[in-house]
Amino acid sequence: MSIEDMHNDLAMMQLSDSFFPTGLYANSNGLEIIFQNNKKITEIEIIQIIQTQLKQQVCPADLIVMINALKFANLKEFEKILEIDEKINSMKNIKETRDASRRSGIQLAKCVNEFLNDEILEKYIAFCKKGIISGAYCVSFGLCASALKLNSQKASLMFLYGFITSIVGAASRMGIIDHIQSQKIIHKLKPVITQMVTENLDKSTKDIWQFAPHFEILQMHHEKIDSKMFIT
Amino acid sequence: MTKRIPRLGIGGPVGSGKSMLIEKIVPVLAAKGYCISIISNDVISKEDADRMRKNLATERGLMPENLVIGIATGGCPHTAIREDPSINISVIEEMEEKHQEIDMIIIESGGDNITTTFSPSLADYTIYIIDVAGGDKYPRKGGLGIESCDLLVINKIDLAPNVGADLKVMQNDAVKIRKEKPHVFVNCKDNTGIDNVSEHIIRDLLFDSIPKIHEIKNPKES
Repeated sequence: MSIEDMHNDLAMMQLSDSFFPTGLYANSNGLEIIFQNNKKITEIEIIQIIQTQLKQQVCPADLIVMINALKFANLKEFEKILEIDEKINSMKNIKETRDASRRSGIQLAKCVNEFLNDEILEKYIAFCKKGIISGAYCVSFGLCASALKLNSQKASLMFLYGFITSIVGAASRMGIIDHIQSQKIIHKLKPVITQMVTENLDKSTKDIWQFAPHFEILQMHHEKIDSKMFIT
Repeated sequence: MTKRIPRLGIGGPVGSGKSMLIEKIVPVLAAKGYCISIISNDVISKEDADRMRKNLATERGLMPENLVIGIATGGCPHTAIREDPSINISVIEEMEEKHQEIDMIIIESGGDNITTTFSPSLADYTIYIIDVAGGDKYPRKGGLGIESCDLLVINKIDLAPNVGADLKVMQNDAVKIRKEKPHVFVNCKDNTGIDNVSEHIIRDLLFDSIPKIHEIKNPKES
């Protein structure tokens, strides 16, 4: 393995580490409201919840946006980055989900730019500050992956892995599962991640869609509850 | 360019009186003209934020309601103020962008353990509050929160006789473990020591600056 490859792998580890400060640990992505409505959730049901979200929301929308943001950043096509940011922001119908995505996205971009000084990131942060664009997490993630010279396949693996661990981590903190079950779930979902990455790697911005009305309604309920541990 | 607003971090164990301390110091600071905003990181709800909003903003008009914000921390308030303060920083940056009239932002960390500290990126001055009911061994036990904060506040001193706590022991241990750093005994219920805490904040965080509302406008602007 060359030095460059090793740097590349280290960048992948750094960005996918839960220690990386993006606030994702405070998101349950709807699991908290499901848990509040039904106190008994099994390991299998958690896998099903994650799979449904991956197939109906995260992969056809956020993942494709992330992959294309990375591509546009590599090509220095900033106008297209603005367009895609606006598009994904308009698709996030729930305010708390939209806000959480925006806040994590901006902080992610700022943090990476602190140690890379990347031209595209710099410009993106400036546009976010001016309120011209939202700073959606998936767009920001793609730009950061580009700045770290990661390819779209590795970036996609990291992106989906981060999504899964935030839900599994939330399940563990809510006491739904223990630490061993958490790791078993992540292991069982590896084939789903690889399948989703393979299927979406070459999709363009025209292919973006999402359809998860049940989850959206649950997330709307989450927005209204007073007592909660998680932002989403 | 947006100017950084001074930030005060308040941490401490569950029930030590963090929210009550805020509810006592805000009126003192507001009476002097300071505009305060509060961000409350809560473990399981926004109850503290809602209570402070009701008591300080809605009922007493000491601050606008929208300057009290509750943040859910995924059950990890210590992470939200130390290892990954990104959500707090994001909310604060939004406040700084929209409300340059604010003189100080208070960031409350929900009930937590004795190792809690604030990231220097998040807070400029920190208070750690403990209470006498936890026993007079508390300051002696140390922990990062007690040892490293800028001001240690020891609350509920009225309960000392009831729980067999010796304030003199706490005083000596606080001096010993914190070296030169100050500590204050308070009873938030009857306001004992609240002025002292407020003075520390005005002197050591705000550097005796005059409230922004009193700042003399440039004659060219008027």
